[in-house]
Amino acid sequence: MRAVIEARDLSRWYGNVLGISEVTLEIQPGITALLGPNGAGKSTFMKIITGQLKPNIGEAMIYGERVWNNRRIFRQLGFCPEADAFYEELTGFEFLTGLLSLYGFRQSECRERAEHVLKVVELYDVRHRQVRSYSRGMRQRIKVAQAIAHDPEILILDEPLSGLDPLSKRRVIKLIKEFKAHGKTIVVSSHVLPEVEAMTSEIVLIHQGKILARGDIYFIRELIDTHPHMIRIKSPAFRELARILAPEDYILNISFNQEDQSVIFETHHRDRFFNRLNDLVLESDLKVDEITSPDDNLQAIFDYLVGK
Amino acid sequence: MATIREKGYHHWEGQLLEKGRAFWPITRTGIKLAFQRKYFKFIFSGAFLPAVVYAAGIYISERLEDFKFMAQGAERTLQVDPGFFKSYLSLDFLFFMIILLMALGGAGLISDDFRHKAVQLYFARPITKLDYILGKAGVVVFFVGMLTLIPGLILLIIKLLFSGSFKFFLQYPWLIVSIIFYSILLMVFFTSFVLLLSSLSKNRRYVGVVIFALYILSDIAQGIIYVIFRSPYSALFSIKSNLKQVAAGFFMDKLPYAYPWYLSLIVLLVFCFLSYVVIKRKVRGVEVIR
Amino acid sequence: MKSEILRVFSFYFFLGKKSTRTKIFFVLSLVSVLLAVVIRVYRLAGHWTESGQVVFQNFLMVFFLQFLIIILALFYGTSTVAEELEGRTLPYLSSRPIARAAIITGKYLAYLSLTFMIMVSAVLASFLVLNLDQDFRLADLLTVIRYSLVLLLGLAAYLAFFTFLSTWLKKPILVGLAFGFGWESVIQYFPGTTQKFSVAHYLKSLLPQYTTSAGKLGFLFIRLEPSRPAIAVMTLLLIASVFLALASLIFSYKEYLFED
Repeated sequence: MRAVIEARDLSRWYGNVLGISEVTLEIQPGITALLGPNGAGKSTFMKIITGQLKPNIGEAMIYGERVWNNRRIFRQLGFCPEADAFYEELTGFEFLTGLLSLYGFRQSECRERAEHVLKVVELYDVRHRQVRSYSRGMRQRIKVAQAIAHDPEILILDEPLSGLDPLSKRRVIKLIKEFKAHGKTIVVSSHVLPEVEAMTSEIVLIHQGKILARGDIYFIRELIDTHPHMIRIKSPAFRELARILAPEDYILNISFNQEDQSVIFETHHRDRFFNRLNDLVLESDLKVDEITSPDDNLQAIFDYLVGK
Repeated sequence: MATIREKGYHHWEGQLLEKGRAFWPITRTGIKLAFQRKYFKFIFSGAFLPAVVYAAGIYISERLEDFKFMAQGAERTLQVDPGFFKSYLSLDFLFFMIILLMALGGAGLISDDFRHKAVQLYFARPITKLDYILGKAGVVVFFVGMLTLIPGLILLIIKLLFSGSFKFFLQYPWLIVSIIFYSILLMVFFTSFVLLLSSLSKNRRYVGVVIFALYILSDIAQGIIYVIFRSPYSALFSIKSNLKQVAAGFFMDKLPYAYPWYLSLIVLLVFCFLSYVVIKRKVRGVEVIR
Repeated sequence: MKSEILRVFSFYFFLGKKSTRTKIFFVLSLVSVLLAVVIRVYRLAGHWTESGQVVFQNFLMVFFLQFLIIILALFYGTSTVAEELEGRTLPYLSSRPIARAAIITGKYLAYLSLTFMIMVSAVLASFLVLNLDQDFRLADLLTVIRYSLVLLLGLAAYLAFFTFLSTWLKKPILVGLAFGFGWESVIQYFPGTTQKFSVAHYLKSLLPQYTTSAGKLGFLFIRLEPSRPAIAVMTLLLIASVFLALASLIFSYKEYLFED
């Protein structure tokens, strides 16, 4: 199946500053998260695939067509930019209907769509207030609204949850997931890891303009061979546990935390470790209160990959 | 044994000293930012051209014998008297360059703060509204002063140096006071003019155009009113004419328009006062949206 | 393409009507009406004998021709791209299914309409104030229409030029000011064909008080060697078309980066 969004050897400079370098990516329908710190190149990539910027090298394509100056594609595209920018003198309703009219919808259809999407983002009651009087969260929601109002097939959302309270974040995440359920393609960027984890497991890690890793979060973790897995076990007999497992050849390192009575094992072979642990717990009287993997999350993966 | 310090946040154990010049960092930053604008330095340098020309004029007037072959009747045109200084300080070109510099470097003084909602950052610090306004005003005062007061005083010093005696100073002892006071008037007027317009918009581009537009419009208005009413009082509608009239008054020179010069001074001062009232009202830490 | 231009036109015309800037310029244009009122009162007091027609043609047109249309065109024309960059609203336009050339053309037409509306209401109001005491004549109405059309041509030409500057330069205001109030004023004092390198020359060629002896008011006007009216109209339309086309071309292919 042909990818919805394709990027081939995309590179972009701003003078001497590198934006992105040799980015090759194919994005299929579903939610793909671009994850990286500020200045990693996420916005640059999004600007290229939404036709705001031209790549210096390489090309970006949507549905097999080049993006730059190709207005046919934009009918299927909804873009929520990062900047807090509006036509401030318009009301929320006017802002949406005005931008919808640029798609060629009739006035009545613009009004209907605007009203519908205002209800979705819960700004219907304040639709006749000027955008300049909206709070930060309301402004962010109206920005998301203008991206989805025309029911696009592809949604590009640059930091869509920025400035939202926890409840609004949940609503927007739910909305994004609903879009996914309808078979749409969504590309979301963020530097907040829990937000990304809540939305999708399909991530693209970007740092200093390059793609560090791509795929399922757990799959990526498995790829990081240089860094052993960490498994933390909380037990009243944590030292005894350590004594029993220490001779195993797949245990690389053991550290203790006296305060919470836990021991952390580092190993390259998680499966063998857990098999042995299961046997131990069944065979002996060792009580285990808690088993966790401190590094089995995006933060840890990211830290490993950028070499912290 | 020495104490081992952790690498972490330490509370500052020094003393907070109160200094009386809260506006100075604002002025200093404003000047620095103005110089960072493209073409500003170029235009600012160009604005010193009249001063250079007038300095050369003083030199030539002292060495008239050597330059007699160049110009017949030069002793009349190159007479360095209070009118000479008045003509420099009320030169059309100088006013135009000041307006251009202000459109380029002064238009964003307050409007940029409104645009980027930075006024709150100022008033979250122990700065009063007066400090803020003085700080911004300081930028305009600096640039206008550099083009008026400093060259005016330097031209006077050059005259004294080249003439080799204090005769000129004794002949016109009030001249230095005129130079200082007229320069101060120019500084205060242009500061009020620029800050007023800057406080009325969030867009520095608009402010820049309006600075220019109002300056030119005032001349056009004078022209139209003069033709209708044939009255010298039409000059009261023009910024440039008012400044020239006051200059003639301060330097005890022939008045360009047939009415008392203090009327022009009153018009300018009233404008400055009203500008201050408006600026004070517009500069607020909180934006009220209705 | 036509429908895209129309969509952009509608959006920006609506936005422009609501903006504070338009209201301020409308008030500024009323300065002419204020002057007209002052002149009228002065005439009523018996101090002025020139007819309302003459006053309108020779005074107020100076205000409109040499100041207001330049300021309006400068403001709106240089804002065409600059306001989208400063406000960071360009992505809303460039991610819509509209040709980039249509964005520029639509905005240009919207701003031309707005500025013309501002201008023509001031022209009409000041003309009426000055000629209220006279019987209605068709010739007067034709005069107003003629002047309005000349001002429209001037607006179209200046606006197109400043729109072109806006698409090409990062800071179009300086060049715009230098052109509008520098070049346009100075070049008219030059004799011969040099005058033809200004928009003002062609506008004045279309107005009778500039092409015939103006009597005691002649000192107001600089030396003019007028072009033929047909040539003047064609040149102004050509200037507007060429610069608009250039602006559309540049905007279609140029990238615009926000100042970060």
